[in-house]
Amino acid sequence: MTEPVLQIPEGWEARAPEGWEWQTLWEAVEEGDHRYAHERVEQAIEANIDPRTILDDGLFPGFTLQGDRFSEQIIFIPEMLITARAMKTGLALIRPLLAAQAEKPVGTFVMGTVLGDMHDIGQSIVTIMLENAGFNVINLGTDVHPDRFIETARAEQADLVGFSALLSTTVYYQKVTIEEFVKAGHRGKVKILVGGAPTTQEWADECGADGWGRDAVQAVKLALALVKQPRETWA
Amino acid sequence: MKELLPRERFTRALRHEPVDRVPLLYRMKHEAKEKLARVYGITDAGTGRKHNPALELRLGNDAIIYQIGINADFSHRPIAIGETWFNHFGVGYGKSGLKGRTPEEQVEFAKTQEFWGPAKVVPENFPKHHPITSLEEFKSYEWPDPADQEMLAPIRDICDRYQDDYFIIVDLSSTLIEAAYAHIVGTQNFFLYMFDQPELIEGVLDGLTQYYTELGLNAIRMGVDMIRVGDDVGAQQSMMVSPKQWRELARPRFESMFNAFRKENPDIFIKLHSCGDYSPILGDEVELGVHLSGLMQPTGGLKDQAEIKRKHGADIALVGGFDVQRLLPRGQVEAVRQGVCDVMKNLATGGGYIFSPSHYILADVPVQNIFTMLEAQRDFGVYGKYPLN
Repeated sequence: MTEPVLQIPEGWEARAPEGWEWQTLWEAVEEGDHRYAHERVEQAIEANIDPRTILDDGLFPGFTLQGDRFSEQIIFIPEMLITARAMKTGLALIRPLLAAQAEKPVGTFVMGTVLGDMHDIGQSIVTIMLENAGFNVINLGTDVHPDRFIETARAEQADLVGFSALLSTTVYYQKVTIEEFVKAGHRGKVKILVGGAPTTQEWADECGADGWGRDAVQAVKLALALVKQPRETWA
Repeated sequence: MKELLPRERFTRALRHEPVDRVPLLYRMKHEAKEKLARVYGITDAGTGRKHNPALELRLGNDAIIYQIGINADFSHRPIAIGETWFNHFGVGYGKSGLKGRTPEEQVEFAKTQEFWGPAKVVPENFPKHHPITSLEEFKSYEWPDPADQEMLAPIRDICDRYQDDYFIIVDLSSTLIEAAYAHIVGTQNFFLYMFDQPELIEGVLDGLTQYYTELGLNAIRMGVDMIRVGDDVGAQQSMMVSPKQWRELARPRFESMFNAFRKENPDIFIKLHSCGDYSPILGDEVELGVHLSGLMQPTGGLKDQAEIKRKHGADIALVGGFDVQRLLPRGQVEAVRQGVCDVMKNLATGGGYIFSPSHYILADVPVQNIFTMLEAQRDFGVYGKYPLN
């Protein structure tokens, strides 16, 4: 195991005004100080720093560091949650500015826990991390009927759909929901990811998913790769 | 070795003394239990507070486990569609898996119990209203009565009726961190409040410690042999909170609880359970004087059973370890049989082990796999015979 270190964005000084520093924001995101993250991002916007630069140079380094630590089991759910909250606070300020620049989300992701299952902590963490990675995420919550996944995916023209399950008794509904996408004629239009305690790569293959995330960080990496793969169009 | 009484077998295994065969502890949720009870002509398959051990004893259990904690109320209780049911902690529970279903699908649900294969989907009860989400709510919160006779009275009946032959366990789950996040405060709230409102978290954990210490003492005074504490702090691949956070939040509170138990009865046995991977705190369990640890789901972080046994097996007895996520519900019978053999080899060698699936048997388990497990355990769980020779 290699100890993750802060990846300082190359050439960040050239993208910031004279005398600007990001170190305090990197640390605030790392430590989950959402109040300071809010304040510093506001200052950056006032200083006319490009919103994409604020995201990449200001918010991502601390977030990526904690994500790697989470994957390596150096930090755990509570620390990951407060870091994600700090990141989300900053992102909320710059998202309207990114939209105004006509910057499109990386992709649209419909997320939910399958029918019969009320567990939400895992999919909540994945949702926050996907949003932070630039996805437009529609989270349907828990106990989601296959029809709702399909209706939402169609209405939102989703690129990816994710099914979470914690129980061996409900994981079966990941397969059922995928079958419903096939029946509805939409399977080729979305990439489908599955996750949750009883799932494995073998299960993902068996139930017909496109991928399986061992943890939240892997899920986001997988989503970023899958969104680039060709799919049938919704129109 | 001559055949031991179940009670003797269980106690000796906890003390790492030689036994004739590996003791057993099967537990079932009511859908699975009702299904299996029909095979044996057993009409009372009650679970939770209405637990009737007849079926489990028929399957060969050496101990009777009776649950009185927060889980005993909600997880075994039928809750109607759309109803929110409140327990004595003021936590509200509802039923999953029914929202948005057509009448035809609901009929299919009802057929679950008639179907001998794995159930397609089993509606579960889940907490959906948490009574403490602010300091104000905490200050005005009234903890339930740990001397509630309705809850405690069945323990005396069980002791009177069974204790000559069987080992009696009272289960206080969920007890501490799990009771706080899953029931009282809400999961995401709990983890954020650890940083935002630590005094709220400390207060809730203190309240739970006090309640469960009193409840456990009342059970001990009725003569039970073991107190089981259940506190899920393991996720599939790692712990939910860090070992350091667990040592700050949970360990001192368990220490005070267990000391009170031992003061009341120095011979009381203590079991500590967590779902998921809790391997980083197994050493802490030993230091806390816990006698039995498990039930050890083997597909995530606790995969290397032989290593766990090598590292901790001499200091603490282990229970469980038979995969309920894939092998038991989905495995072919040959794989189930081999799985039982592997678990016995890994965990029962040298004693100090109680065989059990790594959690309740749920309705998704095909009946043939339950019988395969029972037969395999009879074949592979005898000391002096393969693989325990």
